[in-house]
Amino acid sequence: MTLSLGPLLSRLSARSPWLYRINAGSCNGCDVELATTAIIPRYDVERLGCQYCGSPKHADIVLITGPLTVRVKDKVLRLYEEIPDPKVTVAVGVCPISGGIFRDSYAVAGPLDTVIPVDVNVPGCPPRPQAIIEGIAKAIALWRSRL
Amino acid sequence: MPEFLSPVLAVAVFPGGLFALALGLLLKGIDRRVAARLQRRVGPPLLQPLFDLIKLARKETLVPETAVTPVFRGAPVAGLAAMVLAAAMIPIAGVYRPDPALGDLLVLFYLLAVPAVALMLAGSASGSPFGAIGFSREMVMMIAYEAPVLLALLAVAVRGGAAEGRPGCLSLSAIVDYQMRNGPLLLDPVLWPALAAFLCFLPANLGVLPFDIPEAETEILEGPLLEYSGPGLGLFKMMAAVKAVVVLGLAITLFLPNGPAGAAGLALFIVKCALFMIAGVTVTRTAMGRMRIDQAFRFLLRWPLAFGVIGFAAVLVRW
Repeated sequence: MTLSLGPLLSRLSARSPWLYRINAGSCNGCDVELATTAIIPRYDVERLGCQYCGSPKHADIVLITGPLTVRVKDKVLRLYEEIPDPKVTVAVGVCPISGGIFRDSYAVAGPLDTVIPVDVNVPGCPPRPQAIIEGIAKAIALWRSRL
Repeated sequence: MPEFLSPVLAVAVFPGGLFALALGLLLKGIDRRVAARLQRRVGPPLLQPLFDLIKLARKETLVPETAVTPVFRGAPVAGLAAMVLAAAMIPIAGVYRPDPALGDLLVLFYLLAVPAVALMLAGSASGSPFGAIGFSREMVMMIAYEAPVLLALLAVAVRGGAAEGRPGCLSLSAIVDYQMRNGPLLLDPVLWPALAAFLCFLPANLGVLPFDIPEAETEILEGPLLEYSGPGLGLFKMMAAVKAVVVLGLAITLFLPNGPAGAAGLALFIVKCALFMIAGVTVTRTAMGRMRIDQAFRFLLRWPLAFGVIGFAAVLVRW
């Protein structure tokens, strides 16, 4: 009984991934797509047990958009520290991955994975909602192995 | 079984403690599912609140540097304890009669204030400015909804006692007995204003739209809950779940307690809880946006208070 309880509890907890969004200097395109996956009925992520939360302390999966500008770098690091373990990071859009069209700018401190560990990349400018949901699903699988 | 054990079991297992928690989580699941369907979404599984709790229990606990740690950690425990105790005071017709030693309607009324106070303590002890805003909003809400609901409770108490030639009865079991003999108070027109006041109180006390102002996640990031992570947040979710059972159980006790004895009575109680949840909470919160705190204050001190005064006066005149 005690042997099988641990994995069972991990499996059940993996059905409750709460999402948290960080805008690291994004142009808002990816954020609109994220809002789409959250709000409109067609892509309803609540059926996966996901819930967008306002506080980083409630979060399990962090979705980061934007090229990580110099101005927000410290704030993003601080927010990342405030998210309780176990957590998974998803980079949404091409900007956090490579800098995107902003890659040559003096104001960009990215790419993101030089600053914090990134687990899943969802490229696109902006990525389609389906791609974001796939990225979230991959993040859930990763997160489950860390629980 | 020794005599003294039955109130202990009532608080710990049935109908307080485990039963109330399970029922509360189920009600929350039904609420989320029905709300999703009303918005033409698929919605989460019925047991989603349980999954959330298991997940929260396995997360890390972070306490902010600015927090007053004993209060920060103690507030959710105090709130949950009060609600578990209150759940043991709700009678279920034909199934459960609470021990008179647990207290009457007025004790229940005071216990119902504890979760709000726990949230206020949590918000102010967390050291977060959002928590402080949540604290002040929670207090304003409490001032606004307590008076109307007290009048509604007293109206029912006076009505239940008057029929038996007494000035009033504050015992919940006696109120249930009265309705078992004379039909539910829901069908008594004299009490409809009191019912209206109670229906306004329901979303305000449970903190759902349009009255989720103290925790408004889109403006003050869930206020008092902002700094809670993992188990502490889980305790607050448990408190909210048990509180839903207490408030809906109180509504059933006051207005529609009738039911058969045994398992059928228990099943009927659960069904009535779900129906009150859907009608009083889910539909309201799906249909409405959030009020501002001044709008809510004015609304609650206008309509429910008016209904409460009219209801109480009507009952007194009939007596």
